[in-house]
Amino acid sequence: MSPGSGAHEDAFRRLYAAHFDAVLGFALRRVDRPEDAADVAADTFLVAWRRLAHVPAEPEARPWLYGVARRVLANHRRGDGRRSALGDRLRRELATVAPDPSTDVVQRADVTAAMGRLSGRDQEVLELHLWEGLEPREIAEVLGLTTVVVRPRLSRARARLRALLPEGPEPDGSEPPRNGPAPAGHLPSTPQLTREER
Amino acid sequence: MDPKISDDAVGRLPIASGRAELLEEIMSTPVTDRTTAPDTAAAPRRRTVWLVPLAAAAAVAVVATGPLWWPSGGEPASAPGGPAAQSGAEAAADAPTYRAVLDTPGWRVTHVYEESGGNGGEISYRRGQTSLEVHWRPGSLYDDYVEDRRDIVDPPADGEPVEVLGLTAQLWPYSADDHTVIRPVEDGFLLEVRGSGMPRSAFEDLLGELRLVDEAGFEQALPDEFVTASERDAVVEEMLDGIAAASGQERTQGEEQPPITSDQADRYHLGAEVAGQVACAWIEEFRAANQAGDQQRAQEATDVLASSRQWPVLLDMDARGDYPEAVWDYADQVARGEVPEGFRGGLGC
Repeated sequence: MSPGSGAHEDAFRRLYAAHFDAVLGFALRRVDRPEDAADVAADTFLVAWRRLAHVPAEPEARPWLYGVARRVLANHRRGDGRRSALGDRLRRELATVAPDPSTDVVQRADVTAAMGRLSGRDQEVLELHLWEGLEPREIAEVLGLTTVVVRPRLSRARARLRALLPEGPEPDGSEPPRNGPAPAGHLPSTPQLTREER
Repeated sequence: MDPKISDDAVGRLPIASGRAELLEEIMSTPVTDRTTAPDTAAAPRRRTVWLVPLAAAAAVAVVATGPLWWPSGGEPASAPGGPAAQSGAEAAADAPTYRAVLDTPGWRVTHVYEESGGNGGEISYRRGQTSLEVHWRPGSLYDDYVEDRRDIVDPPADGEPVEVLGLTAQLWPYSADDHTVIRPVEDGFLLEVRGSGMPRSAFEDLLGELRLVDEAGFEQALPDEFVTASERDAVVEEMLDGIAAASGQERTQGEEQPPITSDQADRYHLGAEVAGQVACAWIEEFRAANQAGDQQRAQEATDVLASSRQWPVLLDMDARGDYPEAVWDYADQVARGEVPEGFRGGLGC
């Protein structure tokens, strides 16, 4: 599959179709202004287009894309986020959309608020676990760490989060899905804080 | 965006046109997947110009001596960058010389990046429409690199032999005016040099002008606008002094404070780490004061954060990026009596 070939283009179209919502969602959950997520998505898929031969096969493609998006986002926050040359229309569309906050959220507001009180490192690992539904092995891929490092880090972060939440039943961090099941392999309907790590 | 939207909901946003147009835009760009390493690392590497953390091995602890205008009651933000390491200025005399620099007049440095953990680095030069990229990577990756670059030509083949800094390297052409060369491992690292916008003869001439340097020599070769390890303490002190003056607080010597650590060579990114840590500490102070019901402490924190619009370091950074805006947005939220949600992630502290 050489760059620019029909096979290259087909493979990229499949990748884009399969993961666009996830990558854009990843960005939307982390930016202050929805339109900025367009830049993150554009730059992430631009990297994937240029490095398609290096994108791992499913199911590792999505953590790979999240890893790219994470770095794009970090650069954006760091001020290197010159507006992407691509994705103008998407940017304009996102600037005007207003998702219904009463539905389709990955996490209860009180859990989000509690997470905001944790360290940046704890937040990041919890976000990947609770927002993207990633397992320690996948989180390790996103962060460029080993599972050995991620597993205890996630455990500690969850314990700290639990300590910040009100007494009561174990929070699962999520709202019940109201519009059918989440995409296969992603956003499990109940990304439980108590979920066993594999 | 808050609340945190699900991917399902993303799929239902009315953005079909933008989504489709972006796909076509991306696919209309040229594929230049030859400048990056084979995927031997678990995570993709950053490839962004002007993201310039320099010399991770030379990360230096910049001790902000006694900035008492850091809230004494709050716990200052943890410092990024890990434990302090030896300054690059103290490099041993027999330090390895696996980095290469170009001193040729007319060529300016546009980008410097050093991977953490001794995983190599890169420096880029530009002159008009021509560019030269120099990468140094761990020798263990040599075979992967060569195997990857062999695919530049069809059928795959070894590169043409060419001498680079005393060793016989392999050269492959991407096009008539775009070539790359890989030099065998020496001092534990391979060198890859790519010249774009110039014919092979000019590229080979430039290869002859490269100079191997150790870490200290590398820093010396950087233009003045980059902050070297030996300068970093003073630059951070200057930034902290500016913040203190703008906030009307006094920096008093003698009280132990957590160090601000940084390995950033670019003033923008160094400024982000310094200003970000100060801002984080004061937002933490605001939260703690609120919880304690201490209005005086809360007001002090609010005032210091409000002064961020006059912090020289942020004003200097403002033309280059949005980081100052993020600090100022958080200051506004604090002024409204709110603890900004996710401020640690937003400020990177």
